Amino acid sequence: MINLKHIFKWVTVGGSRVFLLKDINLEVKEGEFISIMGPSGSGKSTLLNVIGMLDGFDEGEYHFLQESVHTLKEKQRAQLYKQYIGFVFQAYHLIDELTVYENIETPLIYQNLKTSERKAMVADMLDRFNIVGKKDLFPAQLSGGQQQLVGIARALIAKPKLLLADEPTGNLNSKQGEEIMELFKQLNNEGVTIIQVTHSEKNAAYGSRVINLLDGRKEINQ
Amino acid sequence: MIKNYFILAIRALRKNKLFSAINILGLSIGISASLVIYLLVNYHFTFDKFEKDSDRIYRVVSKFNFSGENYYNSGVTSPMGPAIKKEMTGVEAVAPFRTVDEGMKVTIPIAGADKPQVFKNQNEIIFADENYFNLVGYEWLAGSVKTAFSQPYQTVLTEKNAALFFPNIVPAQIIGKQINFNDTVLTTVTGIVKDIEANTDFSFKTFISKITLEKTSLRPHDWDQWNNTNGASQLLVKLSPGIATAQLEKGMYGLYDKYRNKENDNDSHSVSFELQPLSDLHFNTHYSGYAKPLANRSILFSLLAVALFLLLLGCINFINLTTAQASQRAKEIGVRKTMGGSKKQLIIQFLSETFLLTFIATIVSVLLTPLILRSFSGFIPDDLHFSIVEQPSVLLFLLLLTVVVSILSGFYPAIILSGYKPVLVLKNQVFAGTSKTRQAWLRKSLTVSQFVIAQVFIMATIMVSKQINFTLNKDLGFKKNAIIYFSTNYNDTVAGNKKLLLQKLKAEPGIAMVSLATSPAASFSTWSSIIKYKDGKKEVETDVQLKYGDSNYLKLYGLKLLAGEGIKESDTVNSFIINEVYANILGFQQPQQAIGKFLEWSGQQVPITGVVANFHQKSLHEAVKPLAIGSWGKSENNISVLLQPKNASGDNWKATIAKIEQSWKAIYPDEDLAYSFFDEDIAKFYKQEKNISSLLQWSTVLAVLISCLGLLGLVIYTTTQRTKEIGVRKILGASVKQIVQLISKDFILLVLLAFVIAVPLAWLGISKWLENFAYRTSISWWIFLLAGTLMVLIALLTLALQTIKAAIANPVNSLRTE
Repeated sequence: MINLKHIFKWVTVGGSRVFLLKDINLEVKEGEFISIMGPSGSGKSTLLNVIGMLDGFDEGEYHFLQESVHTLKEKQRAQLYKQYIGFVFQAYHLIDELTVYENIETPLIYQNLKTSERKAMVADMLDRFNIVGKKDLFPAQLSGGQQQLVGIARALIAKPKLLLADEPTGNLNSKQGEEIMELFKQLNNEGVTIIQVTHSEKNAAYGSRVINLLDGRKEINQ
Repeated sequence: MIKNYFILAIRALRKNKLFSAINILGLSIGISASLVIYLLVNYHFTFDKFEKDSDRIYRVVSKFNFSGENYYNSGVTSPMGPAIKKEMTGVEAVAPFRTVDEGMKVTIPIAGADKPQVFKNQNEIIFADENYFNLVGYEWLAGSVKTAFSQPYQTVLTEKNAALFFPNIVPAQIIGKQINFNDTVLTTVTGIVKDIEANTDFSFKTFISKITLEKTSLRPHDWDQWNNTNGASQLLVKLSPGIATAQLEKGMYGLYDKYRNKENDNDSHSVSFELQPLSDLHFNTHYSGYAKPLANRSILFSLLAVALFLLLLGCINFINLTTAQASQRAKEIGVRKTMGGSKKQLIIQFLSETFLLTFIATIVSVLLTPLILRSFSGFIPDDLHFSIVEQPSVLLFLLLLTVVVSILSGFYPAIILSGYKPVLVLKNQVFAGTSKTRQAWLRKSLTVSQFVIAQVFIMATIMVSKQINFTLNKDLGFKKNAIIYFSTNYNDTVAGNKKLLLQKLKAEPGIAMVSLATSPAASFSTWSSIIKYKDGKKEVETDVQLKYGDSNYLKLYGLKLLAGEGIKESDTVNSFIINEVYANILGFQQPQQAIGKFLEWSGQQVPITGVVANFHQKSLHEAVKPLAIGSWGKSENNISVLLQPKNASGDNWKATIAKIEQSWKAIYPDEDLAYSFFDEDIAKFYKQEKNISSLLQWSTVLAVLISCLGLLGLVIYTTTQRTKEIGVRKILGASVKQIVQLISKDFILLVLLAFVIAVPLAWLGISKWLENFAYRTSISWWIFLLAGTLMVLIALLTLALQTIKAAIANPVNSLRTE
């Protein structure tokens, strides 16, 4: 599904290059559940953003499904991730002005679906996550765990093949975190490919494979 | 999707109540101003568009040139109309008509009653025939255009006027009723036409058949004289399609040249006939209009500019505040982009927010408009109405305005907002890189331009008031206080009447002095003539203004005699007193040299018996012209009265004027005394300037208000952004004063920069405007300084509202939230 070859990403500070990603090679097959680990500043989030096509890179090749991402234009790339990728954030990043229902609905609006279709899909999702009763509340009225649940529901609404999660449990207590990880595992079993960034060994254990990063380099892994 | 955008927009507005309110207020001021000015401009520019083939209809007007100076007359020599009809091709219709200069007394005999119904001083009466009605186009409610003007002593009324003269009678029954004009012209009503609903200068209400003039003793003396031009003699023509006006104008001069009495004509002036398009009628102040005041195109255009500036200020506010707040929305934008929102979709979302806000502002301004119309009633014509329901064009204009303003103010912020890269936003690095500084630079230049506009307005306002003050207080060379004047009936056949009135007034203790003359020392009207002077070898020919008065005239108006003696009363002109300007033209270095020299006027030699100091016989727009004052008892019918000084209680003038009225009634029982205060009339010379001044004052207040709103918005934003910095500085020992200084400094620098830009702009504009005056005040440096200081003070006050609040806040609170 994903094939990264010799990916380099750097910024130039004071005339010399500082590498954010250095010669990253990675292959991810459909149905995998991968955890990216490493200390702060090791490039975990950067790698995730590159995979999610939110961020570019300076050198290397990136193949996603049949497409060569590095040759695509901005617009085509947006089209690609809109269709196949869902994002979950540490800080949930729900839109404060929108209700739970509307937050989940947003990606569908951007895919130009009809109102009736959107309604049906959002209703299904609310049902599945057991948050039907909260659909008219605004994010500020929810607990952190509930907000993250909505964030995941929103990421899944467009039926993505790949779910990218940047420390999804970072702002949650351990019980809420466990519930979210259980949910991820279940989703993975249903066939969704998941890549998560995490600090916690425990969370990493839910995945099928762990990638360790240090200073933008991939460490030898098990 | 659209619905979704609007729900979002409403929530966004609600979330930022303060900023939304500032934006709406700023925009609605601009929109209200635009709406009112649109109504006004639209009113004036739709004059006389309703006539069929209005682009082919022209008024024939006369332009004279006397010794290099142009004189304009909206009329044309009376025989011209019939001659064009008979002898010229290319003209589809010829419609001469004759206006009546003075109000007429209308008497309606009522069957069965002893006394007839009398309507004094009726205006908008003309003598016309079927050609006029066919050309302009009237709807007939009773009678017909074919028969209504076939006989002398026939009258046609408009519906509203008929309802005034004959209340509660249907049009068909008014036909055949009698109307008596000035007790001498007894006519029969032969038709009723509908009043013209569209905007028009042809607002006449009463039409007497033109044949009445031709076939009866009312026939004017200039009726068939080619050498005489009377402004009352109006002529409309409709050209055949494709006929060039120049060719026709030449043809008309040909007719004139063929028929004029060449022996008796003065060769020193030339006349040309011009075709004035119907679209020019309402705007060309060279040629007078009819009952409705003419509009000044350049004033209308300046009004448009004012509206544009106010609108621009509102838009600038919006752009400033929205981009300043952009960071607060950055997260939402980032999330939306990762959810798959495209740049285009985001732009549409932000534009729809702007549209909603503008729409609310438009509604607010529609509500404000009747108020503004009332407070500007001095400018607004009485028949200008505002109703959205009845005027679809207004609705269309508002819709268009809303869309344009939305795009103008929303497009740039939308581009900025939708351009955020999601990854930067989500990492909270939105302000990394150069985009922030670029935006700040843009915001600063927008703020500067706002204050440039506001300060130019302030400077212009001060300068215009200074000039008006100057004109009203300048020594005009004559006395103007405590003088009233009025005219006796020009057509009065009893020559002794005015002498009698004069005698009676002289005996009145409340009156210091009276004088009989042709006109007061300064007036709108001009009487001029060509006077020749032979200086041994060369002949000096000058167009000289003329005034005639009795021996009191110079004294009453305080005119200063420099040489010779005052006016000797006489029934025929036998001497002239000239002014300094004329004496200089004639080549006299000393006033004394002019005394005893002879002028050739109207075929006779008239001696110069005195020289007066220059005085302004017209407004200060014009230079003092050569003038000769003589005495000509027959033509003097204007009485000037110098009242005794006002007493402490101020009621002696009232009593004296009542006495004057009594004396007047004893001599002219049928006429009302129409008097004017001389100083008030002088002030009327500057009516237009006063209007400009009041408009400027309003615009200035609004411009300053909008700019300060913008400034307030920006400073609120800045203090919120810098809350943490302010907290840290306070902990490090900064005083409230230092913090206020710190924040205010940047803003005040912007205002000062705006001042530097505004000064040359205002200076240019003001000196251009002052060119309208032959006598003008100087542009002083203190005006600019005053305006700048005022602006800085206002800005400081605005800033203080917020900066002090931010500075005295407890740092513990601001830092704890981090």
